[in-house]
Amino acid sequence: MAVPILKQGDVLIASIQAALSDRDLLQLRDDLAQRVGNLRCRGVIIDLTALDVLDSYATRMIRGIVYTAKLRGAETIVVGIQPDVAFSMVQLGLSLDGIATALDLEEGLALLAQEKGVRALPD
Amino acid sequence: MAQLGQHETLTQQLIREMGLSEHDIDRRKRIVGLVPLDLERIGKIKDLVTQHVDELANSFFDYLAALEEGRPLTSAGARLERARQLKRDHLLAMVRGNYDAEYAAQRLELAVLYSRCNLDLRVFLGAFHHLLKNIGLKVMGSFQHAPLEGFEAFMSLKKIAFLDIGIIVDAIVFERERLIRTQQDAIRELSTPVLQIRERLLLLPIIGVIDTQRARLITENLLRSIRANRAKVVVMDVTGVATIDSKVANHLIQTVTAAKLMGASVIVTGLSADVAQSLVALGIDLAKLNTVGDLQGGMEEAEHLLGYRVALDGDRVNGAPVARA
Repeated sequence: MAVPILKQGDVLIASIQAALSDRDLLQLRDDLAQRVGNLRCRGVIIDLTALDVLDSYATRMIRGIVYTAKLRGAETIVVGIQPDVAFSMVQLGLSLDGIATALDLEEGLALLAQEKGVRALPD
Repeated sequence: MAQLGQHETLTQQLIREMGLSEHDIDRRKRIVGLVPLDLERIGKIKDLVTQHVDELANSFFDYLAALEEGRPLTSAGARLERARQLKRDHLLAMVRGNYDAEYAAQRLELAVLYSRCNLDLRVFLGAFHHLLKNIGLKVMGSFQHAPLEGFEAFMSLKKIAFLDIGIIVDAIVFERERLIRTQQDAIRELSTPVLQIRERLLLLPIIGVIDTQRARLITENLLRSIRANRAKVVVMDVTGVATIDSKVANHLIQTVTAAKLMGASVIVTGLSADVAQSLVALGIDLAKLNTVGDLQGGMEEAEHLLGYRVALDGDRVNGAPVARA
């Protein structure tokens, strides 16, 4: 299942709704890299609220997506990691070092606005 | 009637938890060396015991009454009445020759009663021995023509008595351990509170020893609270943790990393001079952690992160005096 990518102001929002196959993740990375350039977006939010498990490959892919977007000129915030997911990631030694995280979509948008000056809505 | 029903389920629950199955009862019979010949011998004294059942049961409670340590039971009113009735049933069942799950359940009910009254095990054993002695005297009195036969019958009955003691001791110990288990759970729950002290700011005071189990609980609690309170900053105070070794440090780092994944930053406070030195000596890298000397400093740092400004009454903020709230 491909991940829908929504544009809202200067921000792209990718909301992951179900466990993703490796190919879906690769496609998400390519889609995002292209859209960031085409739409001249400066912020990306990856929403993991619906995920109840995150394995090492997905973690690495998310890191890859974040760095790719960064190289294309957009800051990425990963939001909505559930308590259980966070706990098991730590247990497995998976980390998102150097990647900004926020509680949920609202917090992520606030963080983008506050830290990076990227706004989803005009003031 | 409701109380009786409750008691029934308590006994059944105990049977299940102790694993007191038919198989287990058979093992217990094997352990005390009960053989079919014993049942035959017990049958010979059945009428004798049944005939004197009240006198014998009373001797048990009279013995308890004479002991200071027996008071928890002998002054228990309704419970004492129930115990007397159960003990009478016990004596009758001891000579009936049918030692099955129901028999064990009856022993458990009495054991639960003893443990509810906080009757000491040694006191019970003393009184039970006295009871056996009285049975022995009765048996020997009526078997004067054939003392060996009487002695054998009595020894067979004693096997049953030891079967009972085994069950009762196990049950009382199990009940006592249950108390310890529930208390441990309560302590564990109490000892990991997560407190919200300002909007979006949580305080997590950790006191005592951190083991893997507890670290897990602390982390889970914290993560849940972060989501429930929409927290952005957490101050974790470890003043109450006496020693921090590499294992504990690792737990702390894991907790901080997990909180970070949920978008909350953690400030660790209260690492004492000794702890800091030993961490350095052990070569543990806490560079990942945002540490501040004491709780006050940590709170100030957290307020700064969240954009709070604490002002005294009369202080000037942005040129204007702060009004009393």
